[in-house]
Amino acid sequence: MAAMVEGARGFEFVIEREFDCPRDLMWRLWTEDAHIAAWFGPKGCRTRCLRNDFEVGGWMVYRMAWEMDGRPTDHGGRWVYREISPPERLVFISSFADPDGNPLRHPWQDGWPMQILSTVTFAALGDRTRVRVLWQAFDATDEELVVFEAGRDSMRGGWGGSFEVLAEYVASL
Amino acid sequence: MDGEVTVSELAAPFEMSLPAVSKHLKVLQRAGLVARGREAQWRPCRLEAGPMKDATDWLVHYRRFWEQSFDRMDDYLKTLKDKERDDGSDG
Repeated sequence: MAAMVEGARGFEFVIEREFDCPRDLMWRLWTEDAHIAAWFGPKGCRTRCLRNDFEVGGWMVYRMAWEMDGRPTDHGGRWVYREISPPERLVFISSFADPDGNPLRHPWQDGWPMQILSTVTFAALGDRTRVRVLWQAFDATDEELVVFEAGRDSMRGGWGGSFEVLAEYVASL
Repeated sequence: MDGEVTVSELAAPFEMSLPAVSKHLKVLQRAGLVARGREAQWRPCRLEAGPMKDATDWLVHYRRFWEQSFDRMDDYLKTLKDKERDDGSDG
């Protein structure tokens, strides 16, 4: 379990995978510009790491470019490092951002939290490494929290569009 | 029960005061997930199906984002290994 961080609350998004790679190398893949650019982002996207001040409070700023329905498009983001504990744990606040690193709202998801607390943990399993990414809304407004919390419902098969669901949802807030 | 309902209907199954339910509804409204009618007294609520679907879909979207990033990481690790092996055989 992640340690409680003040400002983080509500739904936890978690994704994990085991890699055929020793933990020290995995740590470098997450922390060095050239490595980050080589894998971060979905299939077909080209990622550039514009800066990486790798220290607590420092920023990593990136751009991602890809084709959507045949048209070139891009967006970018920023990580602000909060905890750097090699080779086990990396914690940063993610936001959408312009190329200078100024935070922006989500380009197509209204109400998406401006800040996501990302806790990445690396567990050594011999020569292999299990990576776990945990996301929580950070210093979110109630409206942002509602949008983030809605992700929980997709795991239950999505919203039925009925008011029983809405009532249940209101009660869960 | 689809379509429009009143706050009292919505609150009925829960041990929650009407003001508490109204407060939550205001948040949902500001987030664009619920719309409320203007008809005087009972101001019916209804789900905004589109924005609500977008909101629940984010998890699917980001799961894909990470799965694909991890796939790329797997491929990248293979190229690093091949490079290391080739460098090794040269030296």
